[in-house]
Amino acid sequence: MDVNGDTASLKRKREPKDDTPSSLKKHRRRSKLPEDSGAGESASAQDDQQPSNSALQQINGGLEPPDASSQPPDGAARERLASWKVSKPMGGRMLDIDPIFSSDERYLIVTYNTSIQVYSTEDSLLVRRIALPVTRTDDATELVATHIVSAVLSKCDTDYLWVACSDGRIWHINWTSGAGAGNPFRIEAKKVLDVAVDVMEIGGQSDDVLLVLKRLTKSSAQIVAYNVKALSTKSGKLLHTYDESPQLLRSAAEGRLIVAAAKETVHIGLLKVRKLSSLDDLAYRFHCFNVPDLVTSLDIRHTLRAAKKGGFDLQSVDLAVGCARGAIYVYHDLLPKLPGEACGPSRAGLIQPKKYHWHRRAAHAVKWSQDGNYLISGGCETVLVLWQVETGRLDFLPHLSAAIENIVVSPRGASYAVHLDDNSTMILSTAEMRPTMYVSGIQSLVLGDRPSKESLVRRVWRPVEEIVAPLVAAANPRNPSQMVLCVGNGQQASLGGGSTSTPFLQVFDVASFHGITKHAIARTNPTDANVTSDGVPIVEPTVTKLSFSQDGKWLASVDEWQPPERDADALLTGSKTSAEVCRERREIYLKFWEVGAEDQSFQLVTRVNDAHHTGRTETILDLASDPTSSRFATIGNDGMVRFWSPRLRKRDGLAATGPDGQPLRSWTCSRTVSLPTHEQQDDPVDIPTENTARSGAITFSEDGSVLFAAFGPPSAADVVAIDTETGTIRDVVSGMFKGEIRAIRSLSSSLVMLSEDLVVYDIVSDEVLYNYSLKETSEDAKHLTQLAVNYESRSVALVAPVPNLNQGKMKRGARSELVVLNIEEDEPQLVQTFSHLITSVCAAPLSSGFIVVDSAAQILSITEGAEQAPLLQPLADLGVDGSDASGREALLLEGDASDEEMEDADQDVEMEHDDDTHAAVVAPQRLAEVFSAAPAFAMPPIEDIFYQVAGLFSTKPAKA
Amino acid sequence: MAAEVLPLAQLKLPSGPSPVTSEQRYWRSFKNQKSHTSTASWPISHISFPAATGATLSNSLVAATKLNDLFAVTSGPRVDIFSIRKRELLKTIGRFDGEAHCGEIRADGRVLVAGEDSGRMQVFDVGGGTRAVILKTWHIHKQPVWVTKWSPTELTTLMSASDDKTVRLWDLPSNNPSRVFTGHSDYVRCGAFMPGLNSNLLVSGSYDETVRVWDARAPGGAVMTFKHADPVEEVLPLASGTTLLAAAGSAISVLDLVAAKPLRLITNHQKTVTSLSLASNGRRVVSGSLDGHVKVFETADWNVVAASKYPSPILSLSVVAAGAAQEDRHLAVGMQSGVLSLRTRLAGAAAEKARDRAAVEAARDVGTETLEKLDAQKAKRKRAAVTNKAMDLLGEGVDVIIPTDAPGGRSRRVKLRPWQRNFRQGRYTAALDDVVDMSSPEYQPVTALTLLVALRHRSALREALEGRDENTVLPLLRWTSKYIADPRYLSVCVDMGFHLLDLYSEHVGGSAELAVQFQQLLGKVSKEVEKAQMAIQTNGMVESLMFGVV
Repeated sequence: MDVNGDTASLKRKREPKDDTPSSLKKHRRRSKLPEDSGAGESASAQDDQQPSNSALQQINGGLEPPDASSQPPDGAARERLASWKVSKPMGGRMLDIDPIFSSDERYLIVTYNTSIQVYSTEDSLLVRRIALPVTRTDDATELVATHIVSAVLSKCDTDYLWVACSDGRIWHINWTSGAGAGNPFRIEAKKVLDVAVDVMEIGGQSDDVLLVLKRLTKSSAQIVAYNVKALSTKSGKLLHTYDESPQLLRSAAEGRLIVAAAKETVHIGLLKVRKLSSLDDLAYRFHCFNVPDLVTSLDIRHTLRAAKKGGFDLQSVDLAVGCARGAIYVYHDLLPKLPGEACGPSRAGLIQPKKYHWHRRAAHAVKWSQDGNYLISGGCETVLVLWQVETGRLDFLPHLSAAIENIVVSPRGASYAVHLDDNSTMILSTAEMRPTMYVSGIQSLVLGDRPSKESLVRRVWRPVEEIVAPLVAAANPRNPSQMVLCVGNGQQASLGGGSTSTPFLQVFDVASFHGITKHAIARTNPTDANVTSDGVPIVEPTVTKLSFSQDGKWLASVDEWQPPERDADALLTGSKTSAEVCRERREIYLKFWEVGAEDQSFQLVTRVNDAHHTGRTETILDLASDPTSSRFATIGNDGMVRFWSPRLRKRDGLAATGPDGQPLRSWTCSRTVSLPTHEQQDDPVDIPTENTARSGAITFSEDGSVLFAAFGPPSAADVVAIDTETGTIRDVVSGMFKGEIRAIRSLSSSLVMLSEDLVVYDIVSDEVLYNYSLKETSEDAKHLTQLAVNYESRSVALVAPVPNLNQGKMKRGARSELVVLNIEEDEPQLVQTFSHLITSVCAAPLSSGFIVVDSAAQILSITEGAEQAPLLQPLADLGVDGSDASGREALLLEGDASDEEMEDADQDVEMEHDDDTHAAVVAPQRLAEVFSAAPAFAMPPIEDIFYQVAGLFSTKPAKA
Repeated sequence: MAAEVLPLAQLKLPSGPSPVTSEQRYWRSFKNQKSHTSTASWPISHISFPAATGATLSNSLVAATKLNDLFAVTSGPRVDIFSIRKRELLKTIGRFDGEAHCGEIRADGRVLVAGEDSGRMQVFDVGGGTRAVILKTWHIHKQPVWVTKWSPTELTTLMSASDDKTVRLWDLPSNNPSRVFTGHSDYVRCGAFMPGLNSNLLVSGSYDETVRVWDARAPGGAVMTFKHADPVEEVLPLASGTTLLAAAGSAISVLDLVAAKPLRLITNHQKTVTSLSLASNGRRVVSGSLDGHVKVFETADWNVVAASKYPSPILSLSVVAAGAAQEDRHLAVGMQSGVLSLRTRLAGAAAEKARDRAAVEAARDVGTETLEKLDAQKAKRKRAAVTNKAMDLLGEGVDVIIPTDAPGGRSRRVKLRPWQRNFRQGRYTAALDDVVDMSSPEYQPVTALTLLVALRHRSALREALEGRDENTVLPLLRWTSKYIADPRYLSVCVDMGFHLLDLYSEHVGGSAELAVQFQQLLGKVSKEVEKAQMAIQTNGMVESLMFGVV
């Protein structure tokens, strides 16, 4: 924001200025434009002079990681800007990194793209979120694409975690306290590919040794060993260099064995020396052999035997390798098959493995069971496969919700942690294959850090690598902590096949931060193979619009599907192109759902097949909900506005009733208004033909009496005010839009219109209050420019991708900017750049803020003043984290046990576990509800308040 | 967690007007018409059956049902008494000097009252012998008596209405009327007691085009008067006691006694409505008219829910209810031609027996195999019933019964049909062959459509059509040309047509049958094109007309 109010994506137009009314581009048909636009002028002139340099620095300087920056900038703008604040981001996308069990299996540590999150395995609650400043801005525009590559539990102190970032930063984090996230070690590396950690005895002292796989050139890498001392001095011991492009590194048996995989070869390193006096003594003998296919995953199982000279020796090593074409190769007892010690670093050629092939596509994860009799594998078939190694017998857990990414066997072997592609992780008990813990984040599309394991093999399709459309989301007015988002069947499933498919509705609770349910609101095939016989993914419908009715009892959705163009060859006639043929066969449904009161069920009430149609089905451009009654309105490409309202469903003239005798309703079109065709139609050049891209948007006025509909071809769109009672057109305003219409919103007497400009226009006084013009960006970026309006704080939030000349597509590295404007004031209230692309913004219901979802699947809350963000606080932040207390108790009990009563102590521990629920998680706003229910003089008796508070904090007895 | 494999959901087509509603089905289930022509084809002027009374008149249920087994039909100078269960004429009362009117059996089923043209009113003994014994005679009315009705609450009270413009209230033992209501200025042709606790309110309708409400407790004239446009032929109080229906001319008016205003005018009949009757425990009203139509109305919004046509003008009708639940048993319609039509709805065990018999008949027609299958099914059901009974008895001695299903366990898996399994496993050709087989007993066009649309969604339509020989292509072509005219099937049929032409047109020269089928498809399409052209022409004409208007 400079003197002209410039932000990264907005450019302040000096308007309205002392121009003639004609330059305001306002042409009213009925009312004449008043000559005085003085008020707006003086206001804008005033704010032009306001210096706000510090804010500029905040935005453009980017000195700090924007993830963590929520403190207000200092300077002249502080007072005003301080009233809005951005919460810490919550959530994120689980990375393709094995989740980690704590050694006592009480916690599961999941690596997210921007944080490490610790969950309790008993009740699936988030215990701690350790944010990591993964993305750094090296200079104002260029983003370094960094991401976490590995997170491994420290072997010598299990309270610590080693987390490695691709740019060479390595954090040593105490996950029980969150300490250590601030100051990473830094090693010199072009790119870190993988890190393995093992404990070794160095100079008589056991210490963590990090084995780091670094990339040297495009197709060569080296393995370097570090310990803590070496990390601080940045001087590691080079162990091995190799030429194939490497991916994976694993170690086993306290560093006696290293396995590194590179495309179709596996390198195995065996520890040469037995006694280490310093890190420099560390040396391995490397062998390599070929695997028949590209390696995607591997797991080592080893047994040790007591060596003659004391200590232990490797007895046998079994290696399981999952490959990109679905086969799993098992190398039993690998050590004797390797060439002898004398040969030195050598190539063992091809060792014949045992082949297990069931997966159709890449085996994303392969793990040995604890006893070595079973292999557990998973892939994009969404089936967990259990192999009996001896017999090759298969056991399945079929049809999970999305592709399996990672599998981890718990330390005791009694449960599996399975990370799925739909941003969820569950723990399955091995006995009955039922989930005992489930964590599900926002399943919206993200811009991935690493290519999926599927992309190792060339496919007939290419995955989509950009986000082309905003995330369709809505906040439930009846339950303010709940959001509904349109998601797909996992990231990979929704990105295949050239276009996104999002047929699911995820109900996500922002306050408790977990996904509640997922409903299919369009056609899905969860149990079928989602590929055609040619190997092309089947595209499911995309939900394009979503809106709750004002009371939250109804939900309207619009979904679209059209056959892929490759199917259209036989259907071509005359001069039709295949795109036209497909458009003719488009299926667009407007659906109305009844939202269940308690159980958040969505029941389809009415499906309208061709809500808008001419000769064929036409796109529904926008959907709006009446803020005062249960009514929706749609605008279609056919130039019609339709109002939809519920009515009692009748059968033979009798009111139809449901099973409980409640009257059933159905939705019908209650009114159709045809928008006036464009005024300049007599101009022969400008006749809108069938193919002219027309855009439209609608919004109800705040009192529901007027519907504003904007419709037309680019640069010739009109805004029409329609009386919702009579359906008559009251007013037409033209020339407000430049380019394609993005959105229109109404706030008191003002209309906020977004196209290539952001125009705030007062409909009563008939003048333009503001006119911001967005900076020149690519076509894709325009699609992601969004607008939200909060009636409570009278504010408007505008979200736009920051223009990037090098990158037109919204791929990884794109950033967004958020601007909050108050309708009464000219100056933006808040301007902030986010390091991730913002895919959705909506007003938080019953609050004055906004909720933002970004392309890293994070949710941020933007709140005004002292208002509490409705987001979840991790248990640790709330101070009700059970880990400290119980940890101390456990220590004490251990002490006791060493004294005498071993048995009793065990029992105590058992009991401790039994009733160790995380005593009530109380959101601050709940407490606020109790205490600020009424002014102090009208408060209920103190006893009542006590019971209310006690009720909040006391846990309910577990159900028998 | 793990999603269950479900069969492909059937496509939901836009719902058109339902051809048969459940209500229509109900009223059509009044079958087994039995016609009974009265002696000398006298018009049937009145049909009535004793109303079920709240008060228990007899201790035993058997007696009660026996009492309620009678209904009376008045035609010419006779009153016939029929049995409800047997639908047979039991007794005829012919001791009238002129035409008889309004033969009504008392609620206890023992006595019957009727008026006649001479103005005489007689009470007969119903039971015992074929000859009717006259128990009581009044000859106070000097004009024909059109209405004689028993009070629903008191056994000894009855009312009458006569052409002498009076409505009278009688006590059975006394010789003179206990009350005379005057006020009508023309013939009084209909009347009724209000039901329930309001039974001291009387309603009467007259040819002076008024409906009057009388109160036996209040002295003086009518407490309420409703004026109509036509002579009132029939009044019918609803069970609620606050609403009244009056048939005046071809309209039926709904009158609210509490608000004292008409609620609605039902004008569904073309000619004078002659009779009204309650049905389905008061939730429906049935009307009969001189236009020969019987219409059934629901009582909330007074929409017609079912209707039927009779060959002659209808003079009287009644929905005869019987049984403990007072279910509709017969639809009795009396006509001008002297024909009494009785239609009966079987309920409970009788209906089941009839269904069984029909199933056996059908199976026998098809062949012995089906019959055997049916027998096997029956035997299985019987065995299951026996086992269940045994288990029930066993359950009495056991404290806890453990269900075989795991708690919260999934219910039995839905079994996929062969075509669904083929579709799921990617054998699209086989699946398609299954569903377009129009001779199969399970053939349903919408199933075929469901599969075809699903194939299109999975980009597999062409794959399913490819690689066929003459024998397997022909059914597809036949199916396409059959359904291409249906707008709901059009889109898929067009795609199929394109693909088939693309794939198999080169073989037309080699196969005569294929050529014929393609010819048929062409014919069908050209016919549709013709229709569309005509529609467009019509549209053009209408538009040009509208252009002048707007």
